[in-house]
This record gives sequence, C-alpha cells and structure tokens, in this order.
Amino acid sequence: MKAPPRVGPLVLTAPAVAGLLVFFIAPLLAFAVYSFLTGSLYDVKAPLTVENYKEVFETDINRTLGRNSLVVGLLAALFSVLIALPMAYWLRYSAGRWRGLVLFLIVASFLASYLVRIFAWRTMLGRNGAINRGLESIGLIDEPLDFLLYNRFAVTVALVHIFLPYVVLVLYAGLAPLQPSYLETAQDLGAGRVQRWRRVVLPLVAAPAVSAFLFVFVLSAADYVTPQLLGGTSGGMLGVQVQVAFIGTGDFAYGAALAFAMLAGFVVCYALIALGLRLTKLDKVRFAT
Amino acid sequence: MGYEEWARWQTSRRRFLQRAGLVTLTVGAGPTLLAACGDDDDGESASTATQGPAKAPAASGRVDFLSWEGYDIPDPLKSWKSENGVTVKATYIGNHDEIQTKLKAGGAGAGYDIITYYQGYKPLYQELDILEPLDEQKLPNLKNLFPYFASKEGSFWIDPDGTRTGVPWTWGSIGITIDTRRVKSMPSSWLDLLEPQFKGRVAMPDDPVGSFTLAAHVEGFDPSKTTKADGEKVFDLLSRMAAQTTGVSPSFGDATTKMTAGDADICWQGWAAMNQFAADAGVDSFETEVPKEGSFSFCDAYALPAGADNVDSALSWMNESLVPKVNAEAAVVLVGGVTVEAAVADLPKNIAGLYRYDELDSLLERSPFYNNPPVESDEFVTFEEVQKRWQEIKAEAGSA
Repeated sequence: MKAPPRVGPLVLTAPAVAGLLVFFIAPLLAFAVYSFLTGSLYDVKAPLTVENYKEVFETDINRTLGRNSLVVGLLAALFSVLIALPMAYWLRYSAGRWRGLVLFLIVASFLASYLVRIFAWRTMLGRNGAINRGLESIGLIDEPLDFLLYNRFAVTVALVHIFLPYVVLVLYAGLAPLQPSYLETAQDLGAGRVQRWRRVVLPLVAAPAVSAFLFVFVLSAADYVTPQLLGGTSGGMLGVQVQVAFIGTGDFAYGAALAFAMLAGFVVCYALIALGLRLTKLDKVRFAT
Repeated sequence: MGYEEWARWQTSRRRFLQRAGLVTLTVGAGPTLLAACGDDDDGESASTATQGPAKAPAASGRVDFLSWEGYDIPDPLKSWKSENGVTVKATYIGNHDEIQTKLKAGGAGAGYDIITYYQGYKPLYQELDILEPLDEQKLPNLKNLFPYFASKEGSFWIDPDGTRTGVPWTWGSIGITIDTRRVKSMPSSWLDLLEPQFKGRVAMPDDPVGSFTLAAHVEGFDPSKTTKADGEKVFDLLSRMAAQTTGVSPSFGDATTKMTAGDADICWQGWAAMNQFAADAGVDSFETEVPKEGSFSFCDAYALPAGADNVDSALSWMNESLVPKVNAEAAVVLVGGVTVEAAVADLPKNIAGLYRYDELDSLLERSPFYNNPPVESDEFVTFEEVQKRWQEIKAEAGSA
C-alpha cells in the first residue's frame, strides 16, 4: 500500500501565516508608515517626517499619562501574579475534588462582561457602595471614604479582577508538569515549606509567571476603557490619547506614532524582564523529562 | 473585550439616550436666532416654490444607516418600513467623530445611505466633502418644521446658496442638572459650580467641544470665533471646573449614573433629559434649569453621505421623520425635542415639559445653536486645539 504524500510543515502553517500577514503584520506596517507621514484631517499625506514622534515625546501630558500607564500596568501585573500563584498552587496540589468545580468557575467568570465587572467595582467602591455602607454599618467610619473610587487604585483593582482568571489558568498550566514527587523529594532532602517554594516551585514557574506578568502588563497599560470609567482625574492613561488622536482629532499620523511609542515601551519592558530572567538563569530552568 | 464591547455598551439604546447629549452637545456658535425665526422666505426653499408641489420618492430595498443607536428610530419608522418593504442595516457609533472617521477611512462609497450630524459639525463635514445636497422636491414634509428649524439661520442645514444638506429632526438644550436630594436650591449661575461646597461633587461629561462651547458661552464668546487670547480664559474656566470633579464621565449616561449613585450632586453641561433618565432608574429628584448666563442647544439632522446608493429611500426616511406623529414618537424614544410644530400636541406631558415650545424663540435666544471651533485658524481657537487642551485639562485636574 502506498503511503500518503507527506505535507510539509510550511504548507500546514501557511493559512495561519497568511492570516497573520494580512490581518496583523500588514496593518501594523501600514501604521508604521502612517507614523512617519504628515497628519492631515482624518487622513495622512507626504512628506515623511519624524515630527509626530517628536511631539509624542515632547508633550507633557503624554509623559504624565505614560507614567500612569506604566504604574497601573506594573501594579496590575504584579498583584495578578501574586494573587494567582497561591491559587494556582492550591488548585494543582490541594484542591482535590474541588479542582474541577473551581476551574469551571474560573472559566465561567470569562462570561461576565468586561464592562459589567468594571461597573461592579463602581458599585462596590462608590460613596454609597457596599464597602462604605459596610464600614458605616459596623461603625468603623462616620463619613464615606472618597479615596476608594476614581483614581489609580480603583483602576488597578478592576484590572486585577479582570485579568486574574487568565493568570490563574496560565500558572496552573505552568505547574501541571511539576509532579508532587518533586516537592516530596525536596522535603525528603530536608527542604522546609519556604525553601521548597523558593528553590523548587518558583524557579520552575518563573517562565510562565513572567509570561502572565507581561500579558497583564501590556493589556493593562494599554487599556483605555477602565481608566475612563474608574480613573477619575488622577487615573488617566496613555491609551485614551491614542483613541483621541484617531477618533477625536482625526490625526492618524500622530495616533500611529503614539501607538508605536507605546509598543516600543512594551518591547523595552519585555527586553528588561527577559534580561532579568537570563541574568538569574531562570530562563534555563526546565522540568526534567 | 476592549473597543467593540465598549462601543456596544456605549450605544445600547438607553445608554445611548443617556449619552447622546454628551456627543450631541459638541456644538458651536450660531448667529442671532430671533432674526431668523419667522422669516418666511428662509422657511421655504426656492426649489419648492418654483418646481411645483414636492413629493416623497418611493422607498425600497436596504438602507445602510450610520449613527447613534436609537437614531434609526426603529419603532416610529416601523409602519413606513413595513409599507415600503424597507430593511435597515444599522451601524452604531460610540462617538460622533466615528461618523467622519468611518466615512473617511472607508472612502466615498463606504456603503452608507443615511447619517446624522449635529449642527456644529456642518463646517467640518463640508471640509471633508461628506455631505451630499438634498433634493427638497422629495422632502414635502419640510413644511411641517418649526420656523426656526426651517430657516437658513446659521447655515446648519441649508447653505447660503439654498442647498439643503440636512433635515433637522431632534434637538435639545443643556442646563445645570442637580439632584435635589443633596442640592437644595438650583444655582443661578454656572460659576456657582466652582463654589467650595461642590468640590468633588460636580459631574462633567467627556465632551471636549461641548464643554468648550459652554465655557465660551459663559465667558461671553462665540465658540466658533474665540480668539486664541480669549480661549485662554475659556480653558481656565474649564480647568477650574474639571478640578471640581472626581473625574470626567465618558458619557452623559455615566454622569447620570454617577449622580444617582451619590458620587456627584450637580452636572456641568447637564441636560433636561437626564431628569427622565434618572426617573427611569428610580430616582425622581433630578432637576435641570438654564442659569442666568444661558447655555447652548444642539440639533441633529439626517443627511446623505457621499457615495450613498439608496438615495430615494434615504430621502423618504428623512421625509417620514417629519410626520408629526413620527417626530413625536422619536422625541419620546430619545427623550428629546421635536422639530415639527404639530408634533408637540402628540407629546406626553413629561416629554412636552422638557422644553417650553411656547417660548421656543426665547429659549433658543438664551441657548443658541453654535458652530464648532474652526478646523484651521491662526486667529481663533481650533477644533484640534480644543481636543488637545481638553486632554491636558483632564490630566491636570487630578493635581489641582
């Protein structure tokens, strides 16, 4: 019997590559070109220029909002990973018969609309929200706390809530190959609970944790909806500026330059974190096969 | 998540209604209004007078609609669609600027047959060659309009040469909106909102041009002709007002929600319809009044975008929107004003009470229709400058 002809990997991946080229790379390149053109009203025109980038970096408001984006992105990513890690660990090693149900609930939480979750936090953190009402009812405060809402804190809390399920799943998957026997062996060799975490769990979970961190960081720092609804006067972020450039002022060239400046910032952050992994040699840590 | 969901939320009907004013209020300056009212020559187009009775064209097929959700007035137009076998493919926006963005990005023939614009955008849309002339011979119901809305005043809907570019069908005015549960007496001036008692209690919709228009009006300037030097006074007022907020609301709906939730007490650039929205949410303590300085009004018009291919159906739609019953039903759905005089009688009391139709001239004199700031000018504050300064004002408000 004749063996069926072998299909090369290039052929198999061609549709995905084509899709990526058409729907991602090509628009990205187009906007890269836009960012060096001269802005016209809802259009772009020659000549080529670097003025858009100059304006991006010389505008004070961009620096202010850029700092906000960086801080909110880092905090959201950090807290997401810090909260998700023990949850993923518990799911992997201690959840027992609850594992299926908890995983289902985590996945089910994706069904809740992004905006519903943001508004839920407004209901919780507002002047007449559940937290203020609760604290008042038990006599801890006389006046509602105003600092809970409409600031960076509120934006960060909502973003952590939104991205936490993703991070738990990523870390749970990252822990999956780490058999309980690893930890038992470490215990047999005299490692205490903290040492087992520090020398076994963390090095092995470092790579997925960093991936999850970057995932949350990029999406949080670039978000432009949450800051508008929860950020108030002190929680504005840079993503809103990109939206304003494209839709508000119709300055596509400036908007593209701003978006690419943000992209460059993300690449720098990624490079720094990758460098950190390399310097600590955590990038070399692999599960034994 | 992200933009699509955001846009969907922004344009869900009720929220659209709550927010419509936000974007609709981005207006600019109109000239003397009273002079226009009652000018019979302006009310009837030359073409109507010379070419015999106007007649609406037959409508058929699919109409591609681009504007706010709700502005396709599905229920009021139900009979018209059914009788003519018309189907509507609607594309809803989350921000007025999306209209020109979509039309320019899609180019002529972007596929839309009917859009709306509000009057302040007329110069920009002409600059962008978005608006096609409308054949008044196919719009017999134009005769139903209030004299002001039928006039050429401001060239908002009719060019100085008589070319019609829009059919005004809904409008409103803004004022100070308060929640009387916490604000016991209505302030008499916009500047009262700067008082220390309102620190952190002011709601402010994220409407750069609307806010600029209002602040310019309060300072005594025409927002479409505010010099760069005078503009600084306007921006200063906006900075001080923004510092009174805990944050600018992305929409009128959000500003209403903020007030009903107790996170704000009073609204800069409020809107009478907010009273109704709050009532719908179970809070009947909202009141809106135009203070002593007056305010500004906004009016949305149906228009034909360049490249429209179902022109007759779009014109028939526009004509139908001026049938008194349809115009009144649209006002009910949108919690807005009617442009058709005979429609007032069909309005329920709560909607009719939003505006004093018996004193329309006086109302529009105190709260005129304005044009937006110009697209380009060395002398006056421009549209782009307003947008950019607004972002700075929002960012700086947190450190004020």
